[in-house]
Amino acid sequence: MAKNDLQGTLDLLVLKTLDQNGNLHGYGIVLHIQSASNDLLRVEEGSLYPALHRMEQSGWISSEWSLTETNRRAKYYKLTPQGRRQLEAAQESFDQLVRGVRAVLRYA
Amino acid sequence: MALFRRLTNLFRQPAIDRDIADELQSHIDLRIESNLAAGMSPEEARRDALLRFGNPTSTKERVAAFDASLALAGFWRDIRYAARQLRKSPGFTLTVIATLAIGIGVNVAIFSSMDAVVLRPLAVPAMDHVMVLAEQQQRGKEPFTLADFTDLHRQNHSFEDLAVLQGANYTLSGAGDAAQISADLVSASFFSALRTQAFLGRVFDESECQPGRDAVAVLNYGFWRRHFGANSRIIGQKIQLDQHEYTIIGVLPRTMQYPPAVDMLLPFAPTAAQLADRSDHAYLVLGRVRDGVTLKSAQSEMQLISERLAKAYPATNQGWTVHVEPLLNDINGDLTPLYYKLIMGATMFVLLVVCANVANLQLARGVARRSEIAMRTALGATRRRIIRQLLTENILLALVGAGLGVAFAAIYLHLTLVLMPARVARYIPGWDNISLNGRALSFSVLLAVLSGIIAGLAPSVEALRIRLVDQLRAGSRQTTGRSRLRSIFAVAQISLAVALVIGAALMAKGMSSMFHQADIYSPEKVLTLHPDLPVKRYDTPEKQADWYASALERLRAIPGASRVELATALPYTDSGWQLDLTIENRPTTPGKLQTAVRLAVTPGFFDAFHIPILDGRNFTQGDSTHSVPVAIVSRRFADLYFSGANPIGHRIRLGDSKSHDPWLTIVGVSQEANYSLWESDLPPAVYTSFAQQPLAGSTITMFSNGDPLNLAAPARKALASIDAGVPLDPVQTYRNLIRDNLVGLMYAASMLALDAFIALLLSAIGIFAVMANLVGERTREIGVRLAMGASKEDVLRMIIRRASWLTGTGLVIGLALAFALARLVANLLRGVRPDDPLTFAVVTVIIVGVALAASWFPARQASRVDPMQALRSE
Repeated sequence: MAKNDLQGTLDLLVLKTLDQNGNLHGYGIVLHIQSASNDLLRVEEGSLYPALHRMEQSGWISSEWSLTETNRRAKYYKLTPQGRRQLEAAQESFDQLVRGVRAVLRYA
Repeated sequence: MALFRRLTNLFRQPAIDRDIADELQSHIDLRIESNLAAGMSPEEARRDALLRFGNPTSTKERVAAFDASLALAGFWRDIRYAARQLRKSPGFTLTVIATLAIGIGVNVAIFSSMDAVVLRPLAVPAMDHVMVLAEQQQRGKEPFTLADFTDLHRQNHSFEDLAVLQGANYTLSGAGDAAQISADLVSASFFSALRTQAFLGRVFDESECQPGRDAVAVLNYGFWRRHFGANSRIIGQKIQLDQHEYTIIGVLPRTMQYPPAVDMLLPFAPTAAQLADRSDHAYLVLGRVRDGVTLKSAQSEMQLISERLAKAYPATNQGWTVHVEPLLNDINGDLTPLYYKLIMGATMFVLLVVCANVANLQLARGVARRSEIAMRTALGATRRRIIRQLLTENILLALVGAGLGVAFAAIYLHLTLVLMPARVARYIPGWDNISLNGRALSFSVLLAVLSGIIAGLAPSVEALRIRLVDQLRAGSRQTTGRSRLRSIFAVAQISLAVALVIGAALMAKGMSSMFHQADIYSPEKVLTLHPDLPVKRYDTPEKQADWYASALERLRAIPGASRVELATALPYTDSGWQLDLTIENRPTTPGKLQTAVRLAVTPGFFDAFHIPILDGRNFTQGDSTHSVPVAIVSRRFADLYFSGANPIGHRIRLGDSKSHDPWLTIVGVSQEANYSLWESDLPPAVYTSFAQQPLAGSTITMFSNGDPLNLAAPARKALASIDAGVPLDPVQTYRNLIRDNLVGLMYAASMLALDAFIALLLSAIGIFAVMANLVGERTREIGVRLAMGASKEDVLRMIIRRASWLTGTGLVIGLALAFALARLVANLLRGVRPDDPLTFAVVTVIIVGVALAASWFPARQASRVDPMQALRSE
């Protein structure tokens, strides 16, 4: 059964973003999701951080402070091996959900 | 890993807080940067960034929550916030802390003494493994015979240690006054069964429990302190016991006051003849069962062994079984745990009243806090958060109260220890152990947290119901729910107070009637002395009779002593032993017991204690060791054993059929007299003449016209002139003798009275608070009523009616509770009826009076409301 909840979707988006881009700070993640989805998905910026910290506490991502191109301090996140496994599981679960929803829509 | 990170986070909360703030700020900065790059004005760029981000403070809290340290750090923050809130209303805070301190303090004090006296009277590891054994036959329990004990010791598998104890009295000499001491001869296994070691020196071992090598003594802690002034150089010193020399080798720890009232322990060194004896039931036995052995399995093994013994030795062991009982039950008896349960229950009642009171005060304060809570909700605090805050505040209050309460308990315990007479405390194992210990402290913390939660529950429920919109709408009111809750608390307080006050009143009444039972004898004018003749020097009845005769003669010569008598027991002090009885020419029917209490008295005793001789004659000077032994029996004796026929001239013998006691010829019948403080059921009594048969354990009574204590010094002098080596203590008035017997009960009664007083006081405060608050909330309504033409009396009546309703409901519930409590008290005491109408009526009047007095002030305030001002204040 696919896990169908919004929090799970946000997690999936963040994990996928980090998987594709390596190191990113929170702001970068927001920008990436927005542009990669052709402005269809907009993350409420504040709500990203509780999710990031939760995933860090679960050991899916790790963080360190470093400098941006414009020489500002920012906290960068990257995927851990455990996070990669979690990403695969979440992706599989999401695919199932989408297939399921599509099937129902097609039938109707 | 994650867990480890969370744990380490706990210790670096400030750093993490900063870290989160930095991260969020950097996000906002980055957004501003790109906004600026996109051509916005700085002002616009900032506003847009903040708008997109949302509430940074609430985000920060939510982020921090995932860093798991929140639970604890947030708690600390709550505590600081709570402390700040409490400081803002010092009157409230002090009242609540004082109330809680009383409730928790009383509970801790009672728990501490119960813990020491009832739960752990001795510092014995795994005390539930220690059992007391007795041999049992139809008539009841008896000590062991030594041969039976030896067989049991060899054959059983249930016990890992079995010890023998035998009581003995000695005259201690060599240092200071001659003292009559009581010692126990115990086998070395006594120490291993109780798992106890010496506090000073050592205890004796197996090799010293043999005739000839047994001249060593281990002192009891209390005796060591009393008699040797706690001198630690006492080890190795010699003392004389009945002119035999013993060496002191050790002192037992303070927590090992067992057997009660025993001054020292000596090695039990049985002779071969003793070991072979199967008829002398004289030895107490205690043992420690092996791990895994239950009382039941030990009991059934004992059953098997006693059946085996009965088969092997039918002459001595037929009909005997072995009874096993936990040592704790044996020490506590029936009454002590009952007292403590009663007091503990009452004290818990008080704690409930305290909680109700605190909750009530909290609710009253809640009015002022509503806007604060609404504000916090508006700022994004969840309900859970607010409730946690309220509970934190309550627990903080309760813990501060507990701190004070423990101090209160310490003072209280000190007072009880000081006030308990040492001569009584000696008989209570564990009394010396009473102290505030770790268990009492954890108990108090537990109580504090519990009462904090209970007292905080109501305000929390109330806080849950606050509707943000309603609250922010000015002038909105929703008071019905809260005032109902507060009324319930007030009613609960009153009913608990009613029950406690009635319980305490009944107990005090019962106690005072017991205390005054002996008033017809004017016990405050009677001096009692308790001579204890050393058995070794007064080894024949003639020698003892001589001493008593000359003692009476010299005491009667003392001016001021109107009368001097001698008896083995005085009315209402202690019933004598019930002895078996044989009536001449009448076969005893097996299974039907014939027993009587025996009292040896002087001829003047009957007159002195108003006991008329109904038939026949009194003892006379002519009855002596050389004349025919005679007896006077009580009327109940005559009714019971002679079916009302005249018993005079018949001969009886005390002791069973094998007894060597002489036959006694009945010469008179006396009126009943009650020798027991507790039993109202009078056993048949046989009086013998002291001059014919002096008995040990006698009491000399000196009747005086003035203060009998003035007779004490001349009496001691007169008796010392016969033999200075005879102990006389305690020398005290008859009244004090009775008081000593009642001291445990007095303790229980005064505790209950204290509890009742506190409950009454608190419920008065509770009613006052409810009514004052009611008046406060209804000021506007009252103003309207007055403006519409209601008189001050109408307003007064309205408020008082409300108070009466609360009080009345509380009374009805309380009286029902009290009736249940009264039945319990009636079981404990003589002369208490659970349906004592006078007590119930008086207490009802008192409670109503207190409640009305407490609501009078708020009511008067209400009647003085100025309508104009009340209406304008909106």
